[in-house]
Amino acid sequence: MSVSNMLENWSKFRHMHPVDDKPHEEYKWAMAIDLDACSGCNACSVACYAENNLPVVGKQKFDAGQQMHWMRIERYWDDDGREFPDQGAQFMPMLCQQCEAAPCETVCPVGATNHTADGLNSQVYNRCIGSRYCSANCPFKVRYFNWYDYPTTDNVWPAEMTQQLNPDVTVRGKGVMEKCTFCVQRLERAKNNARTEGRLVHDGEVQTACQQACPTSAITFGNLVEPESKVAKKWAHQQVELAAKDVQAKDEQEGGSDLRGYRIFEELRAYPSVMYLERVRESAI
Amino acid sequence: MIENSFNRRDFLKVLGWGGTAVALSGCGNTSIQDGVETVVSYVEPPEYAIPGISVYFNSTCAQCDAGCNITGRLREGRVLKLEGNPNSVINHGKLCGLGQAGVQAHYNPDRVREPLLRNGDKGEVIAWDKALGLINEKLSGVKGDEIAFLTGGLSGHVKVLLNNYLEALGSKNHYAYEAVSPSVVRAANKKAYGVEMPRLRLDKAKVVVSFGADFLGAWVSPVNFSQQYAKFRKADENGRGVLVQIESKMTLTGANADRWIVIRPGTEGILALGIVNALGASGVSLPADVAAVSKAYSSERVSKDTGVPAEQIEKLAALLKERSPSLVITGSAAEGYAHGSQNAAAIALLNRVLGNIGKTIEAPANVPFPQVAVTTGNRSSVQALNDSLANGKIKVLFSYGTNPVFTAPTALKFKENLGKVPFKIAFAHYLDETSREADLVLPLDSALEDWGTSVPEYLGEASQLSIQQPLMEKLHPNTKGLGDILLALLKQRREKEYKDYEDFYSYLRSAVVKNKSALGGSGEDDDTFWTNTLSNGIVPFSASSNNLSAKSSAAGLVLPPPADENSGYPLHLIPSVTASLRDGRHANQPWLQESPDPLTTIVWDSWVELHPKTAAKLGIVEGDIVEVTSRSGSVKAQAYLFPGIHPDAVSIPLGNGHVALGRWAKDVGVNAFGILDQVVDKETGELALNETRVKISKTGKRVFIVKDEGAVGGSQAGVKIAVRVSTDDVELSGEV
Repeated sequence: MSVSNMLENWSKFRHMHPVDDKPHEEYKWAMAIDLDACSGCNACSVACYAENNLPVVGKQKFDAGQQMHWMRIERYWDDDGREFPDQGAQFMPMLCQQCEAAPCETVCPVGATNHTADGLNSQVYNRCIGSRYCSANCPFKVRYFNWYDYPTTDNVWPAEMTQQLNPDVTVRGKGVMEKCTFCVQRLERAKNNARTEGRLVHDGEVQTACQQACPTSAITFGNLVEPESKVAKKWAHQQVELAAKDVQAKDEQEGGSDLRGYRIFEELRAYPSVMYLERVRESAI
Repeated sequence: MIENSFNRRDFLKVLGWGGTAVALSGCGNTSIQDGVETVVSYVEPPEYAIPGISVYFNSTCAQCDAGCNITGRLREGRVLKLEGNPNSVINHGKLCGLGQAGVQAHYNPDRVREPLLRNGDKGEVIAWDKALGLINEKLSGVKGDEIAFLTGGLSGHVKVLLNNYLEALGSKNHYAYEAVSPSVVRAANKKAYGVEMPRLRLDKAKVVVSFGADFLGAWVSPVNFSQQYAKFRKADENGRGVLVQIESKMTLTGANADRWIVIRPGTEGILALGIVNALGASGVSLPADVAAVSKAYSSERVSKDTGVPAEQIEKLAALLKERSPSLVITGSAAEGYAHGSQNAAAIALLNRVLGNIGKTIEAPANVPFPQVAVTTGNRSSVQALNDSLANGKIKVLFSYGTNPVFTAPTALKFKENLGKVPFKIAFAHYLDETSREADLVLPLDSALEDWGTSVPEYLGEASQLSIQQPLMEKLHPNTKGLGDILLALLKQRREKEYKDYEDFYSYLRSAVVKNKSALGGSGEDDDTFWTNTLSNGIVPFSASSNNLSAKSSAAGLVLPPPADENSGYPLHLIPSVTASLRDGRHANQPWLQESPDPLTTIVWDSWVELHPKTAAKLGIVEGDIVEVTSRSGSVKAQAYLFPGIHPDAVSIPLGNGHVALGRWAKDVGVNAFGILDQVVDKETGELALNETRVKISKTGKRVFIVKDEGAVGGSQAGVKIAVRVSTDDVELSGEV
């Protein structure tokens, strides 16, 4: 691509998502996470380790902030100074939000992270040079860097443990950034199967590993383009729009509406593909 | 799926050996690297084996007693991942983190690979036939009652063989020991409802009041309860369910409650009677025996004893009266005292008064074959065994699936008494603290390599036999299945009876197929029935359900006053059972160690939870290494300031502090089992886990706690990240 071509046709190559004139065609993968159902049990996180060949880094590296949990549970307490947290804790499954206008994408000097046609924020490991700009620019802090070559690090995957590695997923080497992919290997397989049969992927045909494990079914995943999909219905009911122009319907009303769907850091206009449903607490007790 | 022309025997081999055929032609990494084996493509590939395409086999999770049904994903003969079996009535396709870590139990590099015979401090490799011969030799001349078998909770056909073996030896000494089982609750349930483990219908309840039952984390059957909980929380025709959790130390379930009520340790029964009394005062009719017991428990008095505000008690009573049916659950927090049985009995009265029995507390399904039903483990059995050991009554001890040297209270001197047994045989996956003491260690197949059946204690919607089958070829050639070893031992005694069974697989097949008409297979030929059984991984029992018999009287129920101030040991120690580490047997699975504790977010260590108020009084800040001393011992660990705990209590999680068990468990954290006082529940004789009193002192050292929560320690710092909304401000009814 010549520079002049790129500059002349800038809008074609650097397409700001989401835009009305160029909607997603077949697929737009999205999620809804119900914080009222989530119990904070960590099953999703372990499922992610199993599915995506995440290394266990050990205490010392964890302390240095080098843990590799693509899916983590954040736990918050109330800030109101009460003696006891008598309405429990707040759990928050945090994973890559697959932003439509991802802040990480624009800063990558080598184009290693970019947007796919079905709305994923992809990471090309082979292209990554490890500048870590993307991680610095991620508002959700969900990008994880390989500070070490884990396959050759002691006690990460010793002996037989290598046999558990998922052959559908690369084992990343030193100096590469990685993050949640919405289990792209599962998506690709489902899409391939569907294409072979001349159809689109059915709703529910593909699950992410975290969704599949979740004991309370707090995670809904699917194709937002398909209006009958569970996830699209949830987004529609909560009136959360992927490409909300200014504010979401919920936030337009004074004091909020009686809906509970929201996206984190909506104000940054990264347009995340993960909608959260507020945790509910009974007022009668 | 199967063509008629396909040779049935081959097909059975395929399914029956759970992927062995694939494994044979798959790549054992090391042997290829060593040049022992070469990669040869299929000349005639098995019909179902397409390189790059996964196959799935059903089996049963062995990580905890809930016994969830699992589906293993295999590629080229290696098991990669475990999922829940969607057809299970227990876990409905879901699986917790502990269950998923089952692959790490299987691939663990620290597994025992050869039979080991003690020679001084060392274990020397010995051949299997010699090992089995040695057992026979050591048993000769030993009387039946000098032989004992120590296991954890046990069910299925392995239990049948074990009982037969004990019978053949003339021994009745089967001790089933589980360090953190709900054993007092079982006894109390038996009295109150007529069954030890009724079916709990969270999904039907409008209000759930749990006295310290961590049913979303580590209690009984967490995946089943979690799914019910999700339904309970949905705003369906019952409305959104309300969860109230009452405990002294916040559990995962407590962290999910609409109202978490902190209570003075040990006064749970008093609060229960206070609620009963408040219900009576608000017009709920109380049976005469209940009224007689509860009338002394006015809200003011109860509030004084428990530390729960009187208006909170009345509010809770009003909620329970208004929203029926409700469900009241007794958990380990309430049972862990010398008066644990009375606590549990008082709490069970609430269900009686509220009319929940038969509505949200239902009879479990019958298990029509009692010989395979579960023998649940408890804590008193290890005390009984310990007495026999101390008296030198036991000459030969078999142990399997439990680790009393690690978990039994120090006061029992279990390890010392174990040394008095002349010959100890351990069936082991790893060299843990108990099997390390054995004279002969027999290496077991992993749960993903072995055959078996199980019947869980908590049955869920229906009773069933869960099938455990090998998901792949054995990793190590010299391990054996427990069933196979027991069968070999039985053949030493009852050759005639068992000679037709070549191995445990053939025994199992024959035992299941023999009963096919009772197992829904009447009309099917044996092979078809067996094939379907393995393919489903589940055999439903056709069984009627029991009736609950709620006959217990409240008369005679006496609760002790709250525990006195104890100046020497001012704090209550509440050892916490976490969802991933439980009693510590899985501490060598690195996913579980690196999985942050949900409440503190701490990894790879133990900690001491203190209320910030208590910590301030003692001048302790986060990361201080503190010494926690009880009458039975002391441990040193990092202090963590935790708002979800009673100021008179401290909590240390169980499960870490191993001195053996492999590279990921050894020397991680401290063992809180070691400082528990030997105090038992007066009625059942079960060790009272929360009765230990402790004092705390600073050691002067301080560390940075390795944890996942950020620098602001769980505050959202005014940013809208995880949002909570009151039921008043949200419309849930139309939600999809």
